[in-house]
Amino acid sequence: MTHTIFKSIKLINPATNFNQRVNVIIHNKTIMNISKDLNLEKFNKDNQTIIYDCEGLTMSPGIFDIRVNIGKTENLKFTQITAAESGITSMIILPNQTPKLNNPSIIDHIKRQSEDINLPKVMVYGAATKDLNGLEISEIGLMSEMGAIGFTNGNKSIKNSLVMRRLMSYATMINRPIIQHAEDEDLSGLNQASTTSVRGEMNEGEISTRLGLIGIPACAEVIMIERDIRLAKLTGAHYHVAHVSTRDSVNVIREAKKSGLNITCDTAPPYFSLNESKLLTYNTAFKLSPPLRSEDDRLAIIEGIQDGTIDAIASDHRARSKDTKVQPFSAASVGASGIETLFSITLDLVHKKIIDINKAISFLTINPAKIFGIDSPSLEEEKLADFIVFDENEPYTIKKENLKTSPTPFDGKKIRGKILATYINGQVAFMNQIFKNKIIK
Amino acid sequence: MNKLFKNNSKVSKSVPVKLSSHHLLAIEGMQKTEIQKLLDRADHFANLDKNTDTKYLSGYVVLNVFFENSTRTRVSFELAARRLGAEVINISLINSSIKKGESLLDTASTLNAMKPDLLIVRHPHSGAPLLFAEYLSCSIINAGDGRHEHPTQALLDALTIKRRVGYLEGLKISICGDISNSRVARSNIHLLTTMGAEVRCVAPSTLMPSSLEKLGVKCFNDMNEGIKDTDVVMLLRLQNERMSGTENPSEREYFKFFGLDETKLSMASPNAVIMHPGPMNRGVEIASALADDTNRSLIKTQVEMGVAVRMSIIEALNHSKNKT
Repeated sequence: MTHTIFKSIKLINPATNFNQRVNVIIHNKTIMNISKDLNLEKFNKDNQTIIYDCEGLTMSPGIFDIRVNIGKTENLKFTQITAAESGITSMIILPNQTPKLNNPSIIDHIKRQSEDINLPKVMVYGAATKDLNGLEISEIGLMSEMGAIGFTNGNKSIKNSLVMRRLMSYATMINRPIIQHAEDEDLSGLNQASTTSVRGEMNEGEISTRLGLIGIPACAEVIMIERDIRLAKLTGAHYHVAHVSTRDSVNVIREAKKSGLNITCDTAPPYFSLNESKLLTYNTAFKLSPPLRSEDDRLAIIEGIQDGTIDAIASDHRARSKDTKVQPFSAASVGASGIETLFSITLDLVHKKIIDINKAISFLTINPAKIFGIDSPSLEEEKLADFIVFDENEPYTIKKENLKTSPTPFDGKKIRGKILATYINGQVAFMNQIFKNKIIK
Repeated sequence: MNKLFKNNSKVSKSVPVKLSSHHLLAIEGMQKTEIQKLLDRADHFANLDKNTDTKYLSGYVVLNVFFENSTRTRVSFELAARRLGAEVINISLINSSIKKGESLLDTASTLNAMKPDLLIVRHPHSGAPLLFAEYLSCSIINAGDGRHEHPTQALLDALTIKRRVGYLEGLKISICGDISNSRVARSNIHLLTTMGAEVRCVAPSTLMPSSLEKLGVKCFNDMNEGIKDTDVVMLLRLQNERMSGTENPSEREYFKFFGLDETKLSMASPNAVIMHPGPMNRGVEIASALADDTNRSLIKTQVEMGVAVRMSIIEALNHSKNKT
């Protein structure tokens, strides 16, 4: 039988707080052996054994990306393949796609459609309200039975307080979280008809004033979170705030967690690595929701990551076609690609000495699993071989022309860290040429 | 020293201005010397007799592309280009291609394929002319983009002030009204602060944009305070089409607190002049009698200076392109 040996690889396993250089042997889709010493002679005689020289490389569990939009430019399979190439082994997709993920049969359909053993596992957030209209609660119990992992209105907030209360209350019965895009859309001008020119376009402040773009005040985010926290207290629900982007939000969530409420949150790479000054040339790749905030907000997101107020880092992938982005800023679509840069931008936090590598990997793997009560991935003997191999230090420049999804807000950024291989369910889902060349036998 | 400066100034007035760019997209970022030269050259054009031959640009093709309604700016650009001997084609795209679903860039590249030398663009979206400049090969003039900038308006306002008062540096200028939605205000703030004037902005707090003081101006919600001892009172139109109905209780309340009348004007310097980019709402932003007071109001001069300023800009862009 074939053995695959990863010789002298740094194994990071956050679940057991393990970080050591070892040899890992894969056999029959499972991790057969993890050891410091390796008797190669035994395997040298075996013609079917493959040995990779992994000096300088790192192995960790695969990334669990908890916020992926499948937009019009993509289909599920394409996104799965791109995700595998980016080190993602499971992901949760949002309900605001076409058709909307708002009933049990479509949840079941997505599950079956994505059931390729060799591609990242796809999980689903069901639509919290019928047709995502924000008015009536959808069949969250039935969707939950079909595997929906949580409920949300996608990229629009659940605005009506009574609807939110009922949703939270009902969700406690099925033990699922309510995920909120936190934004007071009246305050940010998004509830205005699309023809009026008073819709919020970017963060409010000096730069929006200079550019003559409509500002969205930062407090539009925390206002919604504060209301929701009170409703979570009233109902006992598990409330999860998606893509947190402001200092006030981090502060409020920190306090709510201290008080013992079941509240979790995530952020995305743009919010800890970029700020609103990127918009100065009207570059629509930076038109995001929530909008890029001030430098002070960015620093607060980093503090939230450091002290654990923020639980997870998600890609917030929302790829858009060039046609909808090569437009005047006000007319351009909202969102940017994320899955292809999630790993390297998160690793940038390690190179900048903001967090250590174990913690960075936790934010992408076991932390998101904990939020949703899923078994944490762990690289131990006799477990299924589900992992990624990467070079922590490989320097390169992110170039938009080298990415499969667009637009990227990280074009031209010099970073270090590259995914070399992704194993899903014990099989190679992706392996690049650099890694193939590491073969010694 | 003074004499030397005057001589130099005369020399520079007789030749086209060379700019660092072959576009005019915004005042923000422009050098003081460039602004000075454009104003001097425009001053020269303003002094010329209407029958003087200034047809330096024969064969030069100008497309006046307006995605938003305009009368004075469009006509002013057209006159300026014609006085320079250029060919002008006016295109109103308020109801045509946009409604057919064609993207802005497709419209732009279609126009570009006709090989104009200059595209004069007015667009309801801030930053749209930058997009044109990025993708098209011809020169672009921003004739007003959303709430962003209206650079030629600021230049003509500056020329109007200079010709009346004689200088800009150290002058106290109050810009009053709907600052939030005004591209005229932004261009004027950048130009006047660059030229060393003391700029104050007066607006109700709902029409005062966030962190405006970071642009180097003083902000006031009380008009009497904001125009105290000022040399120029510049009024802005209430841009109701860019509002959501939550900014202003009523026109009469606005006039009470922010409309210019004799009482408020008495706070300003005794020789203070009044300006308005037009079109004005009489009895809302300004008392009708003041608008017509030729001793105080420069509103008609502003319109007149528009042609001279635009001549100097069109000529400069042509000159700057040829030399780069």
